[in-house]
Amino acid sequence: MELRGVRVRYGLLEALHGVDLACPAGRVTVLLGRNGSGRTTVLRTVAGVVRPSAGQVLWQGRETAGLDAYRRARAGLALVPAERGVFGSLTVAENLGLSEPGTVEPSFPELLPLLTRRAGTLSGGQQQMVALARALLARPRLLLLDEPGRGLAPAVVARLHELLFRVAAEGRTVVLAEQGLPPTLEAAAVVHVLRRGRIAFSGEPSELRGLVR
Amino acid sequence: MGAAGLTLDLALAGLAVGSAAALSGVGLVVTYRATGVLNLAQGAQAMATAYLLRELVVVHHWPLALAAVCCLLVAAPALGVLLDLAVFRPLQRRGAGPAETMVAGIGVFVLLIGAAVLIWGTAPYGDAPPLVEGTALAQPGGHVLRLDTAVQLATVLVLATTVGLVSRYTRFGVRLRAVVDNRALAQLAGVDADRISSAGWAFGSFTAGLVGVLLAPFLLLDPYGLPLLVMETMAVAVAARLRSLPVAVVTGLALGVAQSELTRLRPAGQLLPLAQAVQTNLFVVALLVAALLPWSGGSDDTGLALPGGGRGGRGATAARTACTVLVLLPLGFHADDLRHALLVPALALVLLSVVVVTGYGGQVSLGQAGYAGLGALGTALLMSGKVPGLPALPAVPALLLAVAVTVPLGLLTGWPAIRRRGLALALVTFAVGTALSRLVFDQPYATTGLTVSRDGMPTGDRGFYTVELVLLGVGLLVVRNLHRGRLGRALTAMRDHQAGASAAGVDVPRLKLLVFMAGAGLAALGGGLMALGGQAFDPTAFDPVQGLLWFATVVVAGADSAAGAVLAAALLVGLDAGTAAGVSAVVVGALATVLGRMPGGLAGLARRAADRATVPARPGPGQEAALTPLGRRLRERIAERAP
Amino acid sequence: MTAAGTPGAGLVARGVVRRFGGIAAVDGVDLDAPIGRITALIGPNGAGKSTLFDCLAGAARPDAGQVLLAGRDITRLPDHARARLGLLRTFQQIAAFQGLTVAENVRVGAEQVHRGTGRGLLGLPPPGRDTARAATERALRLLDLDAVRDWPADRLPTGALRLLELARALAATPRVLLLDEPAAGLDQAQTARLGTVLRALAAEGTALLLVEHDVELVARLADAVYVMAAGRVIARGPTASVLADPRVAAAWGAT
Repeated sequence: MELRGVRVRYGLLEALHGVDLACPAGRVTVLLGRNGSGRTTVLRTVAGVVRPSAGQVLWQGRETAGLDAYRRARAGLALVPAERGVFGSLTVAENLGLSEPGTVEPSFPELLPLLTRRAGTLSGGQQQMVALARALLARPRLLLLDEPGRGLAPAVVARLHELLFRVAAEGRTVVLAEQGLPPTLEAAAVVHVLRRGRIAFSGEPSELRGLVR
Repeated sequence: MGAAGLTLDLALAGLAVGSAAALSGVGLVVTYRATGVLNLAQGAQAMATAYLLRELVVVHHWPLALAAVCCLLVAAPALGVLLDLAVFRPLQRRGAGPAETMVAGIGVFVLLIGAAVLIWGTAPYGDAPPLVEGTALAQPGGHVLRLDTAVQLATVLVLATTVGLVSRYTRFGVRLRAVVDNRALAQLAGVDADRISSAGWAFGSFTAGLVGVLLAPFLLLDPYGLPLLVMETMAVAVAARLRSLPVAVVTGLALGVAQSELTRLRPAGQLLPLAQAVQTNLFVVALLVAALLPWSGGSDDTGLALPGGGRGGRGATAARTACTVLVLLPLGFHADDLRHALLVPALALVLLSVVVVTGYGGQVSLGQAGYAGLGALGTALLMSGKVPGLPALPAVPALLLAVAVTVPLGLLTGWPAIRRRGLALALVTFAVGTALSRLVFDQPYATTGLTVSRDGMPTGDRGFYTVELVLLGVGLLVVRNLHRGRLGRALTAMRDHQAGASAAGVDVPRLKLLVFMAGAGLAALGGGLMALGGQAFDPTAFDPVQGLLWFATVVVAGADSAAGAVLAAALLVGLDAGTAAGVSAVVVGALATVLGRMPGGLAGLARRAADRATVPARPGPGQEAALTPLGRRLRERIAERAP
Repeated sequence: MTAAGTPGAGLVARGVVRRFGGIAAVDGVDLDAPIGRITALIGPNGAGKSTLFDCLAGAARPDAGQVLLAGRDITRLPDHARARLGLLRTFQQIAAFQGLTVAENVRVGAEQVHRGTGRGLLGLPPPGRDTARAATERALRLLDLDAVRDWPADRLPTGALRLLELARALAATPRVLLLDEPAAGLDQAQTARLGTVLRALAAEGTALLLVEHDVELVARLADAVYVMAAGRVIARGPTASVLADPRVAAAWGAT
């Protein structure tokens, strides 16, 4: 997956001022940036929720412009947004069933007793698990996650990161957007740092460590 | 038969109308939930389907069953899908706000009515075929239960239950609820939200058709009555807050029964006509109440931020010159043509009231016809000496006093506008306009024994037209002052960003009251002139459907263009006088439905054209960049053809 | 003239609470933005900063607590009335009036102190017109918007729009200025100019309160910092010491 010179406008505001970045297949990529730096906008643009005002988004070597979000989803893309990632008025089972009816990913056994509850009545962390489980159930080839650890216990986050590396090892592309780089993600292949809608740094996590220290 | 028996009979009779209203509510709720659009065109869709069924059965002698299947299961859903594809989906793709979507809905409404007038004329038909015969089904205890009532009631209950079950237990239903819950997230989960919307439109259109076909036999089928009746049943959907099917069904049935039971209420003396007015218009009263109750619906809308509003600009001088010429021209007309032209300045004033409220202030107002009617009725009452304590006044003082009285009545819609925006405000203003029309203008207690003459002013058409022009000039001056200087800047700020204007110190509630009061005054002046021009008070001139047509006209002409409103008035009057009835509605409606591709309306188009014409052509690469995509394609094609 | 930093002379919040459906987005916040000082409000997303801002500016009513402007209780005043008393704000999502030119946008801010609706309807000039004009010119020059004064606002790039909003607030000669992420979307040069202008305003005796994510900017500009998390103030004090506090780093989630 690759972005070339992508610009995005929200009404009067330009959120991305020409972003170039590449996320290698079969690896985990981390987008770092503070609030308002544009990391969420990058994910939303790749998923087709917002359309770039200029530039290209390439996926598997093909330009994706004009492809609706649901078509990208059916072609194997999944995005877990940072907020409102579940359908609150649907039950947990219905939420998960939207991707693949019947099964629940064993990585979140916590969800099994909650299947008949309305997702909106769950705690923030449980809702996040539902959102993650739904995305994983779809077995996406490109998995985009916006601050997936938000609201989860540290142990669950560690388990999630482990799981994401396994998913990537199956040849899938995993992209996380984070505010900071936790130690459990230091095995990531590439880190891109966004600052005010521009790429400020691209490289391996070790290089970034060197820069910070 | 005892009182209890009568109560039961009346309840059974009321169920017929009640179940149709419930059905209408179910259709509106389902469409709104699946698409996020309150289908304002539903009444017109109902009317069109009813006309089609009558055409097939009465004129072409199709068997009733075949015709019904064709109309309800093929034609009506197809119309819904067509509307989705051609009108609403392009708007959604462009990220258009609820305001533009609403204008498009009104456009469809006006377009369908205009088309019906063109095809079938305005003469009412009394022979709309009933789907089910009204034979007595059973007579438990001597109370007649008619077959058609039973079938209608069963249809409503079965449909509402089916919708409930489908959305609860099927995969489609889960997807539908996912789209309702969070459309963007549903798309991310691979749900084709567009197809869900199309299904919603098809179903909504089917119920609209069913409502039309069921109601038509109870009344005379004409292009205006049925659509308005169905729009009044919006009360049911609004009471259900556009969410709850059970509430919609219960409200519909309860209103139908209540309306029927109220016929027994016969208060003595002066209250009787008022009670009767309320009884026959219970749905209007319910709509008013439901719209006025606190409701979060549409409160997070962005107001009526119709794009393309620029102030002044290059095309303005040309438009102003055209206006001046156009309104002066009739002074040289023959008597007959001049009589038609009398309507132009009056209508222009009414349209200007929409410009002030909607174009300048950014507030939706579908009820300006009501204020125009108040101006006309007030003038007539004052001239006829019907106002206690006042002698019969000559024309000019009567007109001015009527306007002065109507101005504070602008608070009727101005006050609700302080807390409401978008859809919620549109419903309140429509309800106020409809209530004025039904409970005042249509009632004998207000309108019997009125005489309107041009007493005390030039009685000839030419002289009267001159007076109209002077008053139009005064109106334009007020409008201009509202658009210039500190006041104009504050209004534009409020329209473009209400929270920002408020934070900058603009007293937004006060300004809203001001625009609604100014709008009421302008509309009343125009309405009064209409009455004086025709020398009669004509309640049909201030019908709520007229209000919708006028609103659509102004938005199409470019909501914030005063010159556009005057030109539009001339165009409407010209089309009505020079072509078949219905043409003007078709033109306005068709333009409103393509408004999504024409930001700023016709004035916006003209402005951009003028901008392009006056921007000096820059040499070299600059010119390349100024080409539109179409221009570039043309250039490439020319290059290909070149040897 | 009150001395800079005098407590209570600027904007003060006492125990402000704002609930949304049972959840307290702002949960008993005390805050003091003294005149002549730049106070910063930082914290992670969803900490309640914007809600607190709305309560201070008058766009939302607190469920409990008080807001005082120069000692006067303004808790029950609507936002436009607060603006007329000299409490001005800017928005995180830019609030420019697209139908007006740059100069007209600024003018709207300058001319709301006086009433004049009735005169306006008659086409007469509003009271205080010359003062408003002068204030507009001054604000335009101060933020370097003179060159684009006759542009329609919707043609400006993001950075200039932020400055435009600030200019509109400045034209109203504010006593207290609330700025919601004023540096978002600004380039380096514009950020530098913004810093200079804000410093100058504080020196002239304005109280400034800003919500900002850019810690470097906060460290450079602010005299005092409040840190919010989950609706409460979890740390407060002079900028350097607060930013060095490890608890702050934890709540902030900073790298």
